[in-house]
Amino acid sequence: MKRLALLTAFFVLSASTLFAQDLGTEAQRAEGKVVYDQKCAHCHGYNGDAESVATAYLRPTPRDFTSGNYKFRSTASGELPTTEDIKRSIRDGMPYTSMPAWQGILSESDITNLTYYIKSFDQMFNGPYGSPEAITINSQAYDESRLARGREVFEANQCADCHGENGRGNGESAAELMDDWGYPIRPADMTKRWTFRASATREDIYRTFTTGLNGTPMPSYQQTIEEDDRWALVDYVWSLSRDEPDYGTVVTAQGASGAIDISQGPALFENVPGTYFPIVGQLIEPGRAFYPGVNGVEVKAIYNQDDIAFLLTWNDMTAETSGSNGLTMEAPLFDPSMADSAAADTAGTYSDAVALLLPAETMAGVEKPYFMFGDSKNPMDIWYTDLATDNAGVFVGRGISNIQETEQTLERYANYDDGVWTVIFKRKRPMDGGLSFDEGTFVPITFSVWDGFNHERGNKRGLSAWYHVYLSPLETQSAAGPMLKWGLITLLVELALIGFIRWRNKKEAVAA
Amino acid sequence: MNIFVLLAIIAALVAIQVVGTRFVKLNRLAWMAIWWIALYLALSFGIDPPLPTTIIALFMAIVTLALLAYLSADSEELETAKNTIVSFMTERKYMVPLLIAVVAIPLLVAFKVYSDMTQPPQPPASGRTIHPPPPASINFEGNTINLATANNPYRDLEESDPEAFAQHNANGRRIYFENCFYCHGDNMEGSGMFAHGYDPLPANFNDPTTISQLQESYLFWRIAKGAPGLPGESTPWASAMPAWENFLTEEEIWDVIIFLYEFTGYEPRAQGMPH
Repeated sequence: MKRLALLTAFFVLSASTLFAQDLGTEAQRAEGKVVYDQKCAHCHGYNGDAESVATAYLRPTPRDFTSGNYKFRSTASGELPTTEDIKRSIRDGMPYTSMPAWQGILSESDITNLTYYIKSFDQMFNGPYGSPEAITINSQAYDESRLARGREVFEANQCADCHGENGRGNGESAAELMDDWGYPIRPADMTKRWTFRASATREDIYRTFTTGLNGTPMPSYQQTIEEDDRWALVDYVWSLSRDEPDYGTVVTAQGASGAIDISQGPALFENVPGTYFPIVGQLIEPGRAFYPGVNGVEVKAIYNQDDIAFLLTWNDMTAETSGSNGLTMEAPLFDPSMADSAAADTAGTYSDAVALLLPAETMAGVEKPYFMFGDSKNPMDIWYTDLATDNAGVFVGRGISNIQETEQTLERYANYDDGVWTVIFKRKRPMDGGLSFDEGTFVPITFSVWDGFNHERGNKRGLSAWYHVYLSPLETQSAAGPMLKWGLITLLVELALIGFIRWRNKKEAVAA
Repeated sequence: MNIFVLLAIIAALVAIQVVGTRFVKLNRLAWMAIWWIALYLALSFGIDPPLPTTIIALFMAIVTLALLAYLSADSEELETAKNTIVSFMTERKYMVPLLIAVVAIPLLVAFKVYSDMTQPPQPPASGRTIHPPPPASINFEGNTINLATANNPYRDLEESDPEAFAQHNANGRRIYFENCFYCHGDNMEGSGMFAHGYDPLPANFNDPTTISQLQESYLFWRIAKGAPGLPGESTPWASAMPAWENFLTEEEIWDVIIFLYEFTGYEPRAQGMPH
């Protein structure tokens, strides 16, 4: 309907004014080509068709500039982007994809020239729809009183079908979503605003569901949701996430009051501060995970004289509790098949799993084993559980080819609810031999998460680099005593000094 | 160097100097206090990366001694300074400020004790050498490669056979995007999409202190042996750099080195030039 109207308008207008395309000059496009071939063609291909040496390793795949499909536009659904839209995508990049922000690397005129060259890949930009109009965004400030309305809009428009009841990207149809090219695509996790591809200001969120994301299952709600309701929805989405990931480097284990009974679940960790760690793909050894399913894990820890327990929580689109997983399960170096994730025929083959990895022995100074699965000189303890089972075990790793199960016991609690896995590990401390969890010390620690849906198994996994767990002393010394002591000592010294000077001054005065 | 902090401190000193000479006569004791504070601020906030507190304490002890030596160098000034302190502690007109000082100083000490005791403890820090000296030679798949003399065998093609050189470059690009760019990034800035998961951060090849300062054989060593091949002072356990000798051939490593220089526009340091 919109296109028909535009077409009519075109025929009426074309007699007098030729459509105002913004294609740049020949020279600008030529300069843009130089930049493009140097910086962009590696992923987007020399012909702009996203056929490149890198395509197989990228999810989402690089934009195909010949297709007329642009996710991020300030224009109506199905239309081309404006020049400014393309420039913005180049300038700011797309967080948590391999598209970097080119601002500061390319000059503003480079970016402009590049945009004109990119437009030349698609004849549509020459045509009557070549310069669509941007929507106007009249920003509205965050208004907490609108959250209930925002939730209503969220429910009325079936946002939860894809994005999940609480926006964790775990809706019922999330696992089956495909983009227009037939690649699996995941709905945004609204509890992690920093991962939004089109960046995460309130205006960006508003624009995304106003104009939709072409080429993806995300539709435009421009016609179906009133403007004020769209802003209420922005408020609701905004309220689901903190601003920044706040990645930490140390998780502090706090003293537990009484025995640690992990059947109580996460309640055991109430009021214990958590630390959020980034998870990235294992890219080094066979089983390379170029697009891992999990991008972060929150960790809490408690301990007492006898035991130490860790709580790990992470968002996962689906719980894979059938099939199996294992530390030594074989995975190819890299499986470049496009339908690597979500292939229906292998659904249920691999289960979710999680591990916590520590040096097997307390090491001298700041040395650590190689962070993957340890090395031949420095073994690693791997606390591992396959979430399709009820068991957990401790393995010793001396590299991927040498992982042995030990007899040590590891208690485990696991639960999946509305897009969140919650796993608790509990172990004796101090351990007989091996690593000791001493009070007041820092113990190196890394984490691994397997998303069975994403065919992660064995060494194909999401992992973290080395971080620390700090065992905050069980008896914290009150600061009041030392404060009083040192304050009084200082006061006495002062008084003695003043007294001495006054006494001598008086004596001199008398002598004079 | 945090140049803005240093400039601010210098500006403040100049301003105090102007005010001090024009309007209020500042005695030497006050000047010493001002210098002490200025140097403390410069050491604490003017240097990047920050100095450890123990080093700052050491420097400040030296500063204190130097200032005392400066004060005692002139017996007249020393006498004035002494008289200032004595009159502050004895004369009736200074009674109120003296009382305030007597109460405030123990409170400050108590606060310092409190903040030290409640500060979150820091994980053990390790010093780190960025460009460790390479070994004389490395073993690559049974062949010994002498790092002092080894050259990129395809470098000469740049002049003699540009077409073949371009092919090595293209092959290097393929290898880079298959293996390297998730950490080192599309623009080789060390800011790939997984870079935030690592500490130390992946190397930035655009930085003029990295590959442009190094010989190609050095890059070959770093790529082939990765973090596990680093000497102890470079914290090999902290870096996630893999040992690519397990996955790439010798030719592939030389090719990706060509691509690194071609993409960034830097020239490798010639063999025989000192580091």
